[in-house]
Amino acid sequence: MRVGRKIALVGGVPILVAAAIAAAGWILLTQGERARAGALLAARAYHDLTLARMVRDDAVAARAEERAAFETRFFDLTSRAGRGLETLQNQARTRGQAERAGAARQSLDRYVARMRDFSAVARENDGLIAEMGRRANRLTDLAEQARQRQQASNVDLARTITGKVNRLRATRDVVMGLNGLMAAAWPLVLARQRGEEADAARIDRGRLVQAGRDLAAALRATSHEPAAAEVAALTAPQPFDGAAGDRLTEWGERLLKIVTSEQRTLDDEVAQLLAYAVEANATEQATQNIGIATLRLGQRTAEALARRDTEAASAMLGEGDRLSASASALPISPLIQSDMIEAIDGWRTRLATTMDGLKRQNAMIAEMDGLAASLSEAARALNDDALEDADRFGTFLGRLLLAGAAVGLLLGALVALLVARSILVPLRQLQGDMIALAADPKAEGLSGTQRTDELGDIARATNFFVTEIGRRERALRRAKDQADHALEDLHQAQDDLIRAEKLASLGQLVAGVAHEINTPLGIALTTATLVRDETRAFQGLVAAGTLSRSRLTHFVDRVGEGTQLLCANLTRAADLVHGFKQVAVDRASDERRSFDLDVWLGELLASLQPMLRKGGHRIRRECPPGIVVDTYPGVLAQIVTNLVANAVVHGFAGAETPGTITVRVASTGALVRLEVGDDGSGIAPENLGRIFDPFFTTARSRGSTGLGMHIVHNLVTAKLQGRIAVESEPGQGTQVRLDFPRAPAGAERPGTARRPAGAEAP
Amino acid sequence: MTGIMTRIAAVALAAIAVLGDAVPGQARTLVYCSEGDPEALDPGLVTTTTAMSVTWQMFNSLVEFAPGTTDLRPALAESWAVSDGGRTYDFLLREGVRFHANARFTPSRPLEAEDVLFSFLRQWQPDHPYHRVGGDFAYFRDLGLAGLIEGIERLDARRVRFRLKEPDPTFLPNLAQAFGGILSAEYADHLMRQGTPEELARAPIGTGPFRFVDYRPGVAVRYRSFPQYWRRPREAGTQVGTDAVEGLVFSITPNTAVRLTKLKAGECHVMAFPGTADLDAVRADHDLALLSGEALNVAYLALNTTRPPMNDLRVRRAISLAIDRRAIVEAVYGPAGTVARNPLPPSSWAFDPDLPEPAFDREAAARLLAQAGLSDGFETDLWYLPVSRPYNPDGRRVADMIRADLARIGIRARLTTRDWNAYRAALYSGAPTMMLYGWTSDNGDPDNFLNVLLGCRAAEPGGANLARWCDPGYDAAVKSARGTDDRETRTRLYREAQNRFREAAPWVPLAHTVVHMGVRRTVEGFRADPLGRALFEGVTARE
Repeated sequence: MRVGRKIALVGGVPILVAAAIAAAGWILLTQGERARAGALLAARAYHDLTLARMVRDDAVAARAEERAAFETRFFDLTSRAGRGLETLQNQARTRGQAERAGAARQSLDRYVARMRDFSAVARENDGLIAEMGRRANRLTDLAEQARQRQQASNVDLARTITGKVNRLRATRDVVMGLNGLMAAAWPLVLARQRGEEADAARIDRGRLVQAGRDLAAALRATSHEPAAAEVAALTAPQPFDGAAGDRLTEWGERLLKIVTSEQRTLDDEVAQLLAYAVEANATEQATQNIGIATLRLGQRTAEALARRDTEAASAMLGEGDRLSASASALPISPLIQSDMIEAIDGWRTRLATTMDGLKRQNAMIAEMDGLAASLSEAARALNDDALEDADRFGTFLGRLLLAGAAVGLLLGALVALLVARSILVPLRQLQGDMIALAADPKAEGLSGTQRTDELGDIARATNFFVTEIGRRERALRRAKDQADHALEDLHQAQDDLIRAEKLASLGQLVAGVAHEINTPLGIALTTATLVRDETRAFQGLVAAGTLSRSRLTHFVDRVGEGTQLLCANLTRAADLVHGFKQVAVDRASDERRSFDLDVWLGELLASLQPMLRKGGHRIRRECPPGIVVDTYPGVLAQIVTNLVANAVVHGFAGAETPGTITVRVASTGALVRLEVGDDGSGIAPENLGRIFDPFFTTARSRGSTGLGMHIVHNLVTAKLQGRIAVESEPGQGTQVRLDFPRAPAGAERPGTARRPAGAEAP
Repeated sequence: MTGIMTRIAAVALAAIAVLGDAVPGQARTLVYCSEGDPEALDPGLVTTTTAMSVTWQMFNSLVEFAPGTTDLRPALAESWAVSDGGRTYDFLLREGVRFHANARFTPSRPLEAEDVLFSFLRQWQPDHPYHRVGGDFAYFRDLGLAGLIEGIERLDARRVRFRLKEPDPTFLPNLAQAFGGILSAEYADHLMRQGTPEELARAPIGTGPFRFVDYRPGVAVRYRSFPQYWRRPREAGTQVGTDAVEGLVFSITPNTAVRLTKLKAGECHVMAFPGTADLDAVRADHDLALLSGEALNVAYLALNTTRPPMNDLRVRRAISLAIDRRAIVEAVYGPAGTVARNPLPPSSWAFDPDLPEPAFDREAAARLLAQAGLSDGFETDLWYLPVSRPYNPDGRRVADMIRADLARIGIRARLTTRDWNAYRAALYSGAPTMMLYGWTSDNGDPDNFLNVLLGCRAAEPGGANLARWCDPGYDAAVKSARGTDDRETRTRLYREAQNRFREAAPWVPLAHTVVHMGVRRTVEGFRADPLGRALFEGVTARE
C-alpha cells in the first residue's frame, strides 16, 4: 500500500470517527438546542402568561380610562405567548408535546376570547356606570329643582294663607256684627211674639243702628257690598215695627247661614293649606332625602362595582328598589316625580344590567383564572419537557463524545502504529543505503528501488540523484580545470600586457630621455664644432702667425665661452642620463627605497618634458621640499607618467591652447597626497565610473590600450597601499588624487579588485 | 350636609345643561291638578268626569266629540254607515292604530274588529269572562244599551256592525263617551291566560295619546306620551307643531285652595275648577289664565225615594221648598253659577223655560211636613261631596247651608261624607237618604241627563239614578224621546218629563255652573270642554 494511502488511513480513521461523532453530536446538539429553544419559548410563554395574568388583574381593577392600556398590554403579551406556543407546537419533538402545545394554544385562544368578552362587557359596564352616574346626578338635580320650586311656592303659600286668614277674620267680624244686630233686634221680635206691639217704640234705636253700621262695615270688608247696602235699608224703617224686625231677623239668619258656612269653608281651606304647606315641605325634604340617598347610594354602588362586589351591589339594587318605591309613594312634585322615578328605575335597570355584566365578568375572570392556571401549567410542563429533553441530549452527547473519542483514539493509534511501522522500516533501510552511498558514491545503488510505494520512488530518485551528482561533479571538475587554464592564460596575457605596457612606458621614457639628452648633446656638439673651428682658425693664425692680441683675446673668449657652454650642456646631459638611469632603474627594478619626493618629482617631470613640449603644455610642480618617502619610486613614476600622459593624450586632446598640468604634493602625517590635475576637457560623467576598468578607453583609435588607469589603480592600491580618486567635470579639467603612506607596510597588498565607478579606492 | 348640598347644587347646574337638550323650552312633564281620585281606570267602569278625563288620555272611542265642542267626529272608526232605518251601524276601523305596551304585554297587532267586540261585549254580555272583572259596567247599563243592542258583529278585521233593536239617535253620541273606549282584546286574552284578568282595569292598555304608567290613589295618575299614537299632532289641534310632552301627570289635589297654590307655584300647568272666591285672584295673576265654558251640567240634592221619609212626596216637596237655593248659588257659586230649575241646563235645547223657578217657602215647607205627620221634623243623613266638582265647587258648604235651611223646618240633617270613590260607590249603592251630587253631560244630549240620571233603568242599585226614582210616565216619555230623531217631538217629550220631574221632586236641583279651568299662560292647546273632559292630547307647555 502506498504511504499516501496509509497516511490517509491513519488520518482518515480518526477523521471519520470524529466526523461521525461530530455528525451525531451536531444532530444531538441541534436537538438539544431545539429542546433548549423550546424550553426558552415555553419559559417565555410562561412568563408572558404570568405577566398577562397580572396585567389582566390590573385591567380588572383599573379605572375605565386606564383599562385600555392594560388591555393592549394584555393582548400583546398573550399574542406573544400565542406565537411562542405556535412555534413550540411546530417545533415539538414529540407528538405529545405538539398536542400539549396545541391544547395550550386553544386554551389561550379561549383565554383571549374571554378577555375580549370581558373588555366588551367592561366597556358596556363603563357606559352603564357612567349612565348611572348621570341618572343619579339627574335625580339630585331634580331634587334641587323641587326644592327651589317649593321655596317659591312657600312664599306664595304664606301669602295665600295670610289672605285666607284675613278673610276668615273679616268673616268672623261679619258673624259678630250679625250677632250684634240680631241681638239689638231681638227685643223687638220678643215683644212682637208677646203681642206687645206698643213697646216697639221702646226699642233702642241707637243700638240697632250702631250694630247695623258695624255689620255693614264688616260686610264691606268681606266684599258683601249688596248685603251691606241691605243692612242700612233693614235698620232704617221709622218706626221700626214688628214686620221690620221679622225682615231683619230673616235676612240676618240667611246671611248668618252664608257667612258661617263661608267661615267653615275658610277654616277648612286654611287648615288644608297649612296641612299642604307642612306636607309640601315634608315632601320637599323627602325629595331632598331621596336625592341625597341616591347620591350616596350611587357613590356606594360605584365603590361596590369598582370592588366588583356583586353582593354589595345587589344590596344597592334592593336599596334602589326601596328608593324607587318611596319616590313613587311620596307626594313629590309631579313635575319631577316621573323623572325621579324614571331616573331611579333607569339607574336600577342599569345597575341590574351592570351587575349582570359584573357577574358575567366575574365568571369570565374565574374562567380566565382557570384557563390561565392551566395555560401556565401547560407552559411550565412544556418548559420542563423541553429542558429534560435538552438535558438528555446533552448527556447523550457527552457520552457519545467520550466513547467516540476513546474508540477513535484507539483505532487511530493502532492504525498509526501499523502504518508507521510499515513506513519506518523501509525508511531506515533507505537511510542506511544513502549513508553508505554518501560514503562511497561509487558504491552499489540503493536497495528497494523495486518497491512500488513512495519509498521505492524515493530510492529510485535517490539513485538517480546520486548518479546525476557524480556526473555533474565530473563535468564541473572538467570545467574548473578549463577555467583554471583559461585563468592562467589570462594572467599570462595580463602580465604580457602589463609588461608590454611597461615596456611601452619604458620606450616612452627612453624616447623622452633621448629627446632630452639630444638637446644638450646637440648644443655641446655644435659648440665643440665651433671651438674646433676656432681652434683651427687660431691654429692657422698661430700657424700663420698672424696671431694678434685681439685675436687671441677673442679666441680665448670664444674658447672660454664655448667651454662653458660645453660644460653646461654636457653636465646637463650627464645629469639627464643620471636621472634617466635612476628612473630606468626604478622602473625596472621595482625596488623600494627612500627618496626625496621633490627631487624625485623634478627628475621625473623633466623626463616627461618631451611629451609636453609637442603641444606646448606646461607642467607645474608644487612640492614642498623635504618630503621623504620610503616606497617604490618606479611604481610611483609609472603612475605619475601615466597620469601626465593621460592628461596630454586625453585632457588636452584637440585643445587649441596649451594646457597646464599641476602636480601637487602635500604631506599629512603618515600619508602623502599627490595630486595630478589638468585644465583640460575633463571626463564625461558616464565615463568617469569606468575609468579604472581594464581596456576602457575613449581613444582606442589613437592607439590607447585602455590599461593605463587600470594599472595605475592596481599599482596605487597594491604596491603603494594607497588610495586613488578621480574628480572631473567636462570642461573643468581632471584631478587625480593619490593618498599613500610614506612608508607602506612590509608586504605588498594583494591587488584589489577594481572598484565601481566614482568610488574612492581604499 | 353642607357639602352634599353644595354638590347637589353643582350637579344640578350640569344636569340643567343636559336637560336643555331634550326639547328646548319645552316642559317634559305636563301636570294637571285634578280635583279627585278616579274611581277606576277602565273606561267601562268610570262614571265621573274626573275618572273619564283620566281614561280619555289612554283610550279612544270609535267616534268622539271634538275637543271643546259637542260635535261628533271619527276617531278609531274612520267612517260609519247607518242603515236599516237607523238600526244598523257599520263602522270601518282606522288602519294601523297601535296599542300601548307595558311591562306585561306587547301588542302583536294593530287595532282590529276583535278589540271593538271585546270592548263592548264585556259590558253587554253578562256571561262574558270580563263582565264581572273589576267592577260593574253601570254606565253602559244606565244608558240602556244592554236592552238596545241586538247584536255586535265582526264583518271583517276592520269592520264592525252594531245592530239595534230600535233606532236611537243617542246611540252614536253615546259611543263617544268614556265607556266607548276601545281596549285591546289581545291584552285581555293575555291577562286571562296569565290568570290576572283584573289587571285589565289596573294597568290599562289603550290606543290613546298617553300610555298609563301608574296610579297612586290620592297622589297621582302618571302617563307617558305614546309615540306611536295614530293621530298626528296637527290633527290633534295643536296650534304649534311642537313636540308633545313626554309625560302627563294628574296630580290629585282635592282642595281648591291647594290646587290654586300649586298652579301659582308652577307645580301644575292646568288646574281643575278654581274656587269661586278665587276667580278674581286667578284673573289678576299675569302668569295664569282662566278658561271658562258653559258646561252641560247640573248640581243637585238627590232624595232617595226608596227610603222613608223621602218616599213621601210631601216630604220631598217640603225639602225642596225649605232650601234657599239662591243663597247657596250666591254664596258658593257666585257669578259662575245659576240657580237650577230642573235637571237640564238652560243651554240644552230641551230645557223648558216655562217652568218657574222652584219656590223657597219655609212656611209651606213646614206645612207640608206637618201634613206628612212630621211636624217635629226628623233626623236624616245628608251626604256631601268630599271634593270640588265642576258642578259643585264646595259640597261641604252647600251641605252646611242646606242643613241650616232644613233645621229651620225641623229636619236635622247629619252631614256625612266619604272619600271620593267610597262616596260615589255609596251613592250608587243607594244607601244614602239625601245626597249631594251632580252631573256633567257626556254627550250633550238631554237623554244623557234625563235618562241616565232619572230613568227607571238607572234606578236599579248601582245605577246613576241616585234618587232611585222610577216614574213610569216620566220614563216612558224619556224613552220615547230616545226612539226618535225628531227634535220637536223629543223636545215635547222632554218637557213633559221635566214637568213630571218637577211634580215628583226626586231631586232638589241646585245649580248649573260655568266651569272654570285655571291654566298657566305657558300652556298651549288646552281648551275648556263643555263635556267636562280634560283633554291633553297635543297640549304643550313652555318651560
